[in-house]
Amino acid sequence: MSVPVVELKHITKRFARVLANDDVSITIHQGEVVALLGENGAGKSTVMKCLYGLYRMTSGAIYVDGQEQKIEKPRDAMNLGISMIQQHFSLVPAHTVTENIILGTCRGPIDYKKKEQEIAELAREHHLDVPADAYVKDLPVGTQQKVEILKALYLKARILIMDEPTAVLTPQESEILMQFIRGYVEKGNSVVLITHKMKEVMEAADRIVVMRDGRVVGTVDKEEVQETDLAHMMIGRDLEDLKKSAWEESADRKPCLEVRDLSIRPKNQAPLLENIEFSIREGEILGVAGVSGNGQQELCEAIYGAADVTSGQILLDGEDISHLSVRGRIAKGMGYLASDRHRYGMVSDMSLSENMLLKASYLKTWVNHGIIKRKKLNQDTQKAIQDYSVKAPDCSVSAGSLSGGNQQKLVVAREVGMGEKMLIFDQPTRGLDLGAINYVHKTILEEKERGKCILLVSTELSEIFALSDRVMVLYQGRNMGIYQADELTTEKIGLLMAGYDPEKEKGGNGDEE
Amino acid sequence: MKSRKADFIIWTALAVILGLIVSFSFLPLLNVNPVEALQTMLVETFSDTYTMGNILVKTAPLILTGLAFAFTYKANLYNIGAQGQFYVGCICAVAVSLGLAGALPGPLVILLAMLAAMLGGGLMGLLIGFLKARFNASEFLVSMMSTYVITYVMQLLLRTVLQESKHEYLKTDYIDSSVWLPKFLSGTSASIGIFIAVGAAILVWLILYKTALGYRIRVTGQNMDAARMAGINPFVQCMIAFAISGAIAGLAGFIEINGMQHMLLTDFDTDIGSYGIGIAILANANPIGIIFAALLFGVLTVGGTALGHSTDAPASTIDLMQGFVMLFVLMSFFFRKKIELNRMKKQTVGAAEGKEAA
Amino acid sequence: MTTVVNLLTRAFFMSTPLILGALGEVIAERTGMMVTAVEGIFLIGAWGGFIGAYLSGSCLVGFLLAALCGLLVAMLYGLTTVYMQQHQIVMGTAIAILVTGFCTFFYRVIFGVQTTPLKIETLKVIEIPLLSKIPIIGSILFSQNLITYLTYILAFVSWYVIFKTSLGLTLRSCGENAEAADAAGIPVTTVRFLAVAVAGCLGGIAGAYYPICNVGMYNSEIIGGRGWIAFGICFLGNWSPLGALVFGIIFGISEALGVYVKALGLSGVPSELFSALPYLLVIILTVARRQFRVPAQLGTNYVKEE
Repeated sequence: MSVPVVELKHITKRFARVLANDDVSITIHQGEVVALLGENGAGKSTVMKCLYGLYRMTSGAIYVDGQEQKIEKPRDAMNLGISMIQQHFSLVPAHTVTENIILGTCRGPIDYKKKEQEIAELAREHHLDVPADAYVKDLPVGTQQKVEILKALYLKARILIMDEPTAVLTPQESEILMQFIRGYVEKGNSVVLITHKMKEVMEAADRIVVMRDGRVVGTVDKEEVQETDLAHMMIGRDLEDLKKSAWEESADRKPCLEVRDLSIRPKNQAPLLENIEFSIREGEILGVAGVSGNGQQELCEAIYGAADVTSGQILLDGEDISHLSVRGRIAKGMGYLASDRHRYGMVSDMSLSENMLLKASYLKTWVNHGIIKRKKLNQDTQKAIQDYSVKAPDCSVSAGSLSGGNQQKLVVAREVGMGEKMLIFDQPTRGLDLGAINYVHKTILEEKERGKCILLVSTELSEIFALSDRVMVLYQGRNMGIYQADELTTEKIGLLMAGYDPEKEKGGNGDEE
Repeated sequence: MKSRKADFIIWTALAVILGLIVSFSFLPLLNVNPVEALQTMLVETFSDTYTMGNILVKTAPLILTGLAFAFTYKANLYNIGAQGQFYVGCICAVAVSLGLAGALPGPLVILLAMLAAMLGGGLMGLLIGFLKARFNASEFLVSMMSTYVITYVMQLLLRTVLQESKHEYLKTDYIDSSVWLPKFLSGTSASIGIFIAVGAAILVWLILYKTALGYRIRVTGQNMDAARMAGINPFVQCMIAFAISGAIAGLAGFIEINGMQHMLLTDFDTDIGSYGIGIAILANANPIGIIFAALLFGVLTVGGTALGHSTDAPASTIDLMQGFVMLFVLMSFFFRKKIELNRMKKQTVGAAEGKEAA
Repeated sequence: MTTVVNLLTRAFFMSTPLILGALGEVIAERTGMMVTAVEGIFLIGAWGGFIGAYLSGSCLVGFLLAALCGLLVAMLYGLTTVYMQQHQIVMGTAIAILVTGFCTFFYRVIFGVQTTPLKIETLKVIEIPLLSKIPIIGSILFSQNLITYLTYILAFVSWYVIFKTSLGLTLRSCGENAEAADAAGIPVTTVRFLAVAVAGCLGGIAGAYYPICNVGMYNSEIIGGRGWIAFGICFLGNWSPLGALVFGIIFGISEALGVYVKALGLSGVPSELFSALPYLLVIILTVARRQFRVPAQLGTNYVKEE
């Protein structure tokens, strides 16, 4: 075989708190798709960020076309034809598509008209449907990803690194992306696909590099390997199976949460939620599937009282709670695990006990006449740490010092405690390793057994299917239908997620707007 | 945890010393021998009770303006206008003292003056907090500008309704001695104001760390979105924080009027607000730390004045000292963090090598 | 009528340093850096400008020294915020105190104790041929000093640079999304540091305008919050150089009003209120104009995990 385009040799990257990469060597050849497979936190993104010059490696060497290169900043990587699309896009929302693409590539005065034409031409050439003069903040995530791809093409990249590119896409959109990748490597380019999804790897990759705990644990050709082997390499141990009790429709289960005709229509903007109706019974899990950004967060916040609702009614145990604030709803026994725990769910610099208190500052549990009952709070936090096996020395350390999985366990413990009647889980396992995912899943099922009603939002279809009794699909703030979990196939749910209803197609109730 | 606190104190002390050395090293430019200057400063400051009392006099209001900044800082808000709220407190205190002295028993007037000063400062703070919460006006800019506006309003009042009976200077009459804050050290001008200030610092510490109210303010400051999601209304917290902050600054005005100056005049304590910020920074916004940081500034102010009396060093040397001290303390935060990170990096290396050996 | 013309001439004259300072602030804030040391930069500019002009007898030397002093203070601010990641508001306050002490101390070192204030000759007005002969507008717009003309030109130039060139795109992206700019190969910290340095030079010149063009003297009260007003103008002008120009003129008028109160027959209103007007105006306008398009990452330092 010819000289590899890129060779990473013995790369080690050390952060203050963790050793992210330990002696990682990866080879990338021309015209191939290399999948970098591993759990969250395995060090996949870090090693690629070293290649892209965003991080400086602690030791190791990078060879491009057989020659050693010092890549100290992204510009060096770009000059070598390397581009990277990060998981959280590197786009400036307040700028136009054109401004984002030409950023850092030109000098002197800019002829925006000419540049826009140039970009539009490039987009047409590669069959990417992107409006060159639109502001990025107005574009859906799927299109934003195309902007990122265009950016790489504009730079004439020949090695494209994509970090979890399908996380924001429907199954069908993912399919199109995979086709693009195929076409792109056929022209003699190379792609590195960072992912934790086995299925994707088996579909798209030529060669698979499996990482675990910052090290490469194996490099295999796709033809020679089975999914189960990969899973074992990735995790390094076996996981216990989940036991979902069969859902029985019975009349003695009364509805716990009822949502009637719920809409959020901000002025001068597309509606975020439109006429949502559903109910969840005691001991039932309603899964909400959909590509992220289709109204899931708004739905959760509306139920929790944190969103400005245009119209609609929300009933908890038959009582109208539509007019209650978040504070009032917490007092009624609702728990909400927000998808972005750092932003909505915890205070990094505060202790574990103080984080435990977060949603109860107006309740009597740990506060007496305005004074915090420190002793009881600490005891209860200590107990939660043990019950949920949170790895922490004691309850006085800061929440930020814990690993992501342990933070999530703590936040789950708090919300489960707060939500005596109902629980909302928005992406409860995002960014966790498989052990923690398993634990969170078990907790959710246990709470269901206790008779709580649970709303589970997830973009991972496997999670939806593993836990839900019924599934609702959201597309652009609309309810595409509620189904029994076992009557849905991946293909059908994929179509629903794309706003296309296979059954109502003849009735013309599909995606006509 | 403990060692980090010790680290902080050591580093801050080093930075303070470095700041003093640097500013003293400029003194030869004025033909002042720095070593002799230091000697003079220490001897003059600590030799007699009068100047030592003066340190307490200077420290008391500085504790309060430091607390005023620190309190909003905990809510991630910036009350740069403590100076203005201080003036409002001064105006309220002097007006009540002038108007009611004699009509009511002295202690009662003192109490009323104190409440009026806190109420005035508090309302001023509340107004800024309200503008921030309701209109999302930059509290930084608004509080900064409010100081200038209040300064001119104060000048107007001193020229008109509050002016002394002789109508000569822009100042009020002396307030009656029955409404002076009692002194606690004979032979000094130190009033019980210092106890009020220290008490306020302890109270602020209790509020911030032991009550749900303070907890909610800190949560809002550190993560506003999480606060919102926890049923805590950030706007309400913003107004509460600003009102309390303003009341503390107003209290400083009362202490200065009834405890020390016994009248109000223009260009009164013009630096007290910005020193308060410096003190809060020095103490990392910790209410108890603020007591000591204010004491340091008090010593520097009195020492600097003594220096000015007996040598050619001008009063501005104090500003220079305080400026360099703050600069180096802030820089020390950076170096301390850097060293800690390096230490942690070494630990991960150790851990990795341990793994290798195993 | 002549009073109004005089008032407006004075307004444009007084608006110059505010606009100049605000332009520097716009450039820096577009990259995400609030130059909260602005009051200190103005003050050291006034100090350096006066010393330069007094010792050399040349206003130009004064302005050059002022720019240099402003630059140095801004570099200290940039070093501690951009590279040492200290809080921008806190650092600005610390530097303001330091600069106040520094200026007073070294004024004393250089000039000793003076019983009467030292004076310099103020910068001359340049009447532009032909244009200055236009009635009304001629004397308002075209009978100003050199710095005023340059400031107005600079406002348009910097507008063009910020919105129409790649340099401007680079600046703006650093303030909107530093991570994205970094990933696009832009050295974010360098850009931010240089922008702060530019703001320092402009702020220094703006500060020097007060002794050199306005009063011909220096004292430590000479700036009196005008740096903060320039800071406010940058906000109010929505981070646009032309916005800064408009609001700079508004504040110039409000400053000039204080001088012309009596002439305008407004003696019934206390003069203190006119002096307070610019500051009050900042508050009122900040509250009234709430649709601001703040650079998304204004005031946040760019920290990269290493």
